[in-house]
Amino acid sequence: MIWGVLQFPGSCDERDALYACSAAGGEARLVWHEDRDLGGIDAVVVPGGFSYGDYLRAGAIARFSAAMEAVAEHAAAGKPVLGICNGFQVLCEAGLLPGALLRNENMRFVCRQLELIEEKREQLSGPGADEPFNARLSVPAKHGEGRYWAPEETLDALEANGQVAYRYAPGNNPNGSARDVAGVTNEAGNVLGLMPHPEHAVDPLTGSTDGLRVFQRLEGVLR
Amino acid sequence: MVELEADDPERLAELCEKLLANPLIEDYEIQSL
Repeated sequence: MIWGVLQFPGSCDERDALYACSAAGGEARLVWHEDRDLGGIDAVVVPGGFSYGDYLRAGAIARFSAAMEAVAEHAAAGKPVLGICNGFQVLCEAGLLPGALLRNENMRFVCRQLELIEEKREQLSGPGADEPFNARLSVPAKHGEGRYWAPEETLDALEANGQVAYRYAPGNNPNGSARDVAGVTNEAGNVLGLMPHPEHAVDPLTGSTDGLRVFQRLEGVLR
Repeated sequence: MVELEADDPERLAELCEKLLANPLIEDYEIQSL
């Protein structure tokens, strides 16, 4: 499995994402935002950070990059795409995921370890498919604009379709996200975005390896 | 508020829809000066 990790001006978590992809058992390489060629890449990570300085809105400029044009084609072909934090914002701006990320409810940047509940999603099951869903994952979150929002009818549809991939565990919603949504998929299930950072939770040294599960589940899309 | 000089004012609405605003969460108004 070969992962490609996008790198925009202002990205800051791409190195950790590379490390996480390798820790999950694959090869990984950076893809510069001007690079239109994803040749040979099986799965794409759109990493966290502040692409293009978050100018206008988080993710608003990055969505027009050459690399994102390639990512849209990659997603349309049913191949896995993972957006983390700013990457989630970029995927929403690009229309590859539903909804939007607004300023945190308390208008403050949040940075803390929290717990997620992994929702059932058959299409994303791969290694670890036999493990119970509704597992609690301990991962960090760090963002100022992470409040997931979508119209009520969209939220209803996401829940009915099983597109809510992760929710904040009770008492762990750090930003006021609607219905405690922390991560969603597209309708096909091959594009996943979440605000917390699984790439920072792949080594016991940092207190949790639960983030590996997110990367491993994306691998399941290819199987 | 975003101020800009537009070569083609007729495309301002398109510019707002595609870049300057996220219509899902934002309204916008165009004022020509």
